[in-house]
Amino acid sequence: MSPKVLLIDDDSDFRAAVRSLLESHGYEVLEAASGHDGLRMVVERKPDAILLDIMMETTVEGYGITHSLKHLDEYAEFRSIPLFMTSSIEESPDERFPMSAEVELIRPDGYLSKPLDIPKLLRLLEKAVGAGRTTTA
Amino acid sequence: MTEPPGPETVVVIDDDYAMRLSCAKILTKMGLRAEAFEDGARGLEGVAISRPAMVIVDLKMPGVSGMEVITRVHEIDPHMVIVVITGYATIDTAVQAMKCGAYDFLPKPFSPDELRMIVNRGLERRRLTLEAQRHEIEQSMLKRRFVTFVSHQLRTPLAAVHQYLDVLKHVDAAGDDPARRQEWLGRCLARIDELQNLIADWLTLARVEGGTLVKERVKVELGRVIAGILKTYQDSAAAEGISLESHLPEDCLFVGGDRNCLTVLFDNLITNAIKYNKPGGTVMVSGSESRGEVVVAVADTGIGIPEKYRPFLFDEFFRIKEDGAKKTGGTGLGLHISKKIVSEMGGAIEVDSVAGAGSTFWVRLPAWRAVPEPAGSPNDAQREANIDRR
Repeated sequence: MSPKVLLIDDDSDFRAAVRSLLESHGYEVLEAASGHDGLRMVVERKPDAILLDIMMETTVEGYGITHSLKHLDEYAEFRSIPLFMTSSIEESPDERFPMSAEVELIRPDGYLSKPLDIPKLLRLLEKAVGAGRTTTA
Repeated sequence: MTEPPGPETVVVIDDDYAMRLSCAKILTKMGLRAEAFEDGARGLEGVAISRPAMVIVDLKMPGVSGMEVITRVHEIDPHMVIVVITGYATIDTAVQAMKCGAYDFLPKPFSPDELRMIVNRGLERRRLTLEAQRHEIEQSMLKRRFVTFVSHQLRTPLAAVHQYLDVLKHVDAAGDDPARRQEWLGRCLARIDELQNLIADWLTLARVEGGTLVKERVKVELGRVIAGILKTYQDSAAAEGISLESHLPEDCLFVGGDRNCLTVLFDNLITNAIKYNKPGGTVMVSGSESRGEVVVAVADTGIGIPEKYRPFLFDEFFRIKEDGAKKTGGTGLGLHISKKIVSEMGGAIEVDSVAGAGSTFWVRLPAWRAVPEPAGSPNDAQREANIDRR
């Protein structure tokens, strides 16, 4: 079974491009256009990796989802899914949330700036999904 | 820089027992917290601990001098208001103290009223200073957030285009699908258009804010301006099944303004009315003039604006985060620009809306006659000619 990558991003063009790329590399791609839908799909479909946009024009924004997935008890079983945050602006979370304790609550497994560097993305996903497979096996 | 709650504290430092006690008594009666100290060293300790709003200090004291107290107090808090009491009331010592950072001086002997007055004035000054400082911090935060937001708005379409092209280039090697390639190129062009619109709107806004967009105040007949805009969009609206109707009285809606700005204004309102409409819907523009005011209404039968969003409708970059509205492209600047233009021309813009049934935007502008003409305008000659004819 091909590994599942969930794209949570409100930009449909970005999703279309990345979907096509990942499918051509043997991934199954799931899409969510909002944070709310994204969380629901994590629960329903249990992806092997997540790409999550930081700034979305929806009510639940990126960091809210990271916090839910990494710290809330109701999402405990999804905590180990590799979660990468993407953004077109280079603002680190440490800059955005200057209180260090708070930053720890929203730290994902990695950051990728948009547009995504294709070789880097593919390497990262291969590593993340591979690692996920060995731990679950 | 948050003030402790409760009454403001005033510290009195004076080696004269009767003086510091009577000052403290007056201050307490004013509803303030008073603390009195007999010399500069103790006074400074007190200031460091209780962080008062104001310090009243005698200039001539044994030990740490009044002048030194002023400097040291301002090291603790540069916004603390300092009033000096001086027994040898020469202008020189007072000026010297003010140079050191004192706010004002009280020459001995002074009356309770004089003390009250100077204290009230000093505290008011501190409140204003702190308020201004808070405002400044707020502004810089807003500015920072704005810069982040704008760079995000600008980079998002660019990133999408880049991603498409990069993936096309990458996937090409593994064999391409021509239909998909066409679709993606179309999307790239659409995103570039989006970016160009955003930049154009942003420039317009910068010009409005710089006061350089509303350049002239000439007599403009709105009926003709609006008819021109409606004609431009007639066909594209019809393609969406939307009809454009105009109920404007002929040759009577005269306002004083800038023709380009008025075009931008009504173009924004009419394109919104088309964009947020439903298939088979109508856009109706009507207008009237009464009591020196021209009112134009742009009404649509579209998706409407939920009440909770209406207060933010004219805010910069505001866009409604609802499914129906999100699908349409937009910069979130059109209405903001429109409001600025209307305000610059001395008018007002309002909205009525029923969610799901449509919205009406009302533009009120002073009628041409009601606009005072600037002196030396080219119309002076015309006016003189009119007077001659009388």
